[in-house]
Amino acid sequence: MGLIVKNVDKSFSTKKVVDNINFEIQKPGVYGLLGTNGAGKTTTIRMILGILKKDSGEITWNGKEVQRKHVNFGYLPEERGVYPKTKVHDQLMYFAKLKGMKKEAAEERMQYWAKRLEVEQYLQMTPEKLSKGNQQKIQFITAILHDPELLVLDEPFSGLDPVNTELLKNVILELIKKGTYIIMSSHQMHSIEEFASDVLILNKGKTVLQGNLKEIKEQYAANRLSLSTTENVDNLIKQANLEIYNSKNNEYMINISGEDDGYRLFDILAQNHVKVEKFEIMKPSLHDIFIEKVGEE
Amino acid sequence: MKDLWTVASYTIKDMFQKKTFLISNLIILIMIVVGFNIPNILSSFDGEGEEGGSRTTKELVVDSKNIYEGTLNSLNSLDLGYEFIVENKEVSFEEIKERIENDEIEDAIIIDKINDKIQMTYIVEDATMMTEVPESLRNTFTNLYTNLQLTKLNLSEEQLASLSPEFEFNFKQTAEQEVKGNVFAIMLLSLVLFYAIYFCAYQVSASITTEKTSKIMETLVTSTKPRTIVLGKTIGIGIVGFIQVIVIVTVALICAKYCLPEGVLDAVLDMSQITPILGIFTILYFILGYATFALLYALTGSTVSKPEDVQTANGPVAIVAVVGFYLSYFTMMNPTSDLNVFASIFPFSSPFCMPFRIMMGIATPSQIAISFAVLVVTILIIANISIKIYSNAILNYGSRVTLKDMVKMYKSKDDNNS
Repeated sequence: MGLIVKNVDKSFSTKKVVDNINFEIQKPGVYGLLGTNGAGKTTTIRMILGILKKDSGEITWNGKEVQRKHVNFGYLPEERGVYPKTKVHDQLMYFAKLKGMKKEAAEERMQYWAKRLEVEQYLQMTPEKLSKGNQQKIQFITAILHDPELLVLDEPFSGLDPVNTELLKNVILELIKKGTYIIMSSHQMHSIEEFASDVLILNKGKTVLQGNLKEIKEQYAANRLSLSTTENVDNLIKQANLEIYNSKNNEYMINISGEDDGYRLFDILAQNHVKVEKFEIMKPSLHDIFIEKVGEE
Repeated sequence: MKDLWTVASYTIKDMFQKKTFLISNLIILIMIVVGFNIPNILSSFDGEGEEGGSRTTKELVVDSKNIYEGTLNSLNSLDLGYEFIVENKEVSFEEIKERIENDEIEDAIIIDKINDKIQMTYIVEDATMMTEVPESLRNTFTNLYTNLQLTKLNLSEEQLASLSPEFEFNFKQTAEQEVKGNVFAIMLLSLVLFYAIYFCAYQVSASITTEKTSKIMETLVTSTKPRTIVLGKTIGIGIVGFIQVIVIVTVALICAKYCLPEGVLDAVLDMSQITPILGIFTILYFILGYATFALLYALTGSTVSKPEDVQTANGPVAIVAVVGFYLSYFTMMNPTSDLNVFASIFPFSSPFCMPFRIMMGIATPSQIAISFAVLVVTILIIANISIKIYSNAILNYGSRVTLKDMVKMYKSKDDNNS
């Protein structure tokens, strides 16, 4: 059950933009869809949402071919868009009705989400008078107002300040708890890393990596050491034959090729009686994995 | 069907809430009311409006050589719209100029006789808009002088009457079809119908482009089918346009009835020809004509991503509409011609032409049936093409879609579940 994308292809003219993509989302939660610009993410999303026909393959939701009438989905596109001169309340009601909601239910959900996202005072205003962040929150409400089973979020945090990013993250966590299936596409790897249990990385329409994020990371050896000391230890790091990736105010990010590199440096620091405030051997982040995989291609 | 009405009702509500829409319509209505009241406003400045009399022009007539032998005073007994001030002494050009500037008189006529030729000099403040001496004055002065000379011949009343018999001019046509109605009124109403159809249809294009430029389209097409969006929008704007036309025409007719001098409206528009059947056909042709151009505009509106490209994209549709209108307009000068029959059947001109052939009583039932059939088939074809291209073009945010792209889109199977 859930969403199954099987052997899906898509070409525009002679250019293949999605090449034999396969993935499944079998339980509620966030599935990360990653890729560079032009990797085929938006085309894949549009095919999942049924607004673009696939050339071949299968996309099913709970065993049925994806069509608007079968899937109760929500979509926050990367292109931010609202009716600038129509009252927020009226446009939210319009989309709720198009999604099949009754007026009373739509009104009740609208009030709930507006309060939750702290935009209730803007319901009777036109979006042209609102900040970009608030417009984005309005568009987010449009995507979730009808309690979708499947929600596609394309760059949900772009353009939001830290406070609103946190607010949106909490809402996403609430949706996950409610059992919503979420596909999240973003260039902000840490956001995907924070929510997604599974990921798919696309490059030029092809899958370059997919699977459970934890399992993927386990396949990689530790590659970074985060170190913080009370004094400058540049010479000691050189003595351990390690390369500094980044440093400032005695805080270092050091490239390592395995945990042993880290322990060797730790011994040298101990021998020189250096006071260590932080010492963390780190597995590659999703960002590192992405760069490595897409770079390989 | 429910979604269709949701889109249509949202479009209607959205249009009525726009300040620009309300203000522009208010301005049109004010212009109509003011326009019909201009004669009343002008006469009120002259202080004659209250008496209900028509405005008269103060005309100085200078006959220093007494050529008319004192008969000029009889001019004021004629209802010519002038108040003649006759003077039988020399009046210089400078003096006349001063009297005109002091508003004592408005115009002046200086009569002179040189070598048996009577010379009349007409003096006005500004001759820019005049090409000749008013015909009524020329005829009056000529007749007065002729009558003066005839009286000297001592002719009997019968002889005098035979010299100026009454003439009656009548029309008869050789063509079998008899044309009814005032051509001026028909052309005026044709113009109103054209603008109503054209500008309502244009709104569809503007509305679609606005949705594209505000990037709302992606959210919209995941909420309902593109076909529903196009048709819902077309219906919504059509209903608003129809209400707009009804309000404007009603206000214009009320103003014409109550603001214009009595009889003017009846002279221009024979109300007996405005029958319920004609009304129904006019509404049907408005709806079908609007649908034709609205769907074409939906197509062009969906092909642009920037508001500044709208005019260029809409150009071809505007040309088709204008050609259709002029084909109808000019062939109406000769409504029994084959070209006018063609204009009443050709789908891009029939909405502007056929209602008036029906009004003139020259449209046969078979011509009306063929015209309807052609128009409906055309709408179905345009709807099919427009919806297909719209479905593909609305998510295109790049450069403007070219004709070649449109052909590809039409042939493509990517129709977004249109």
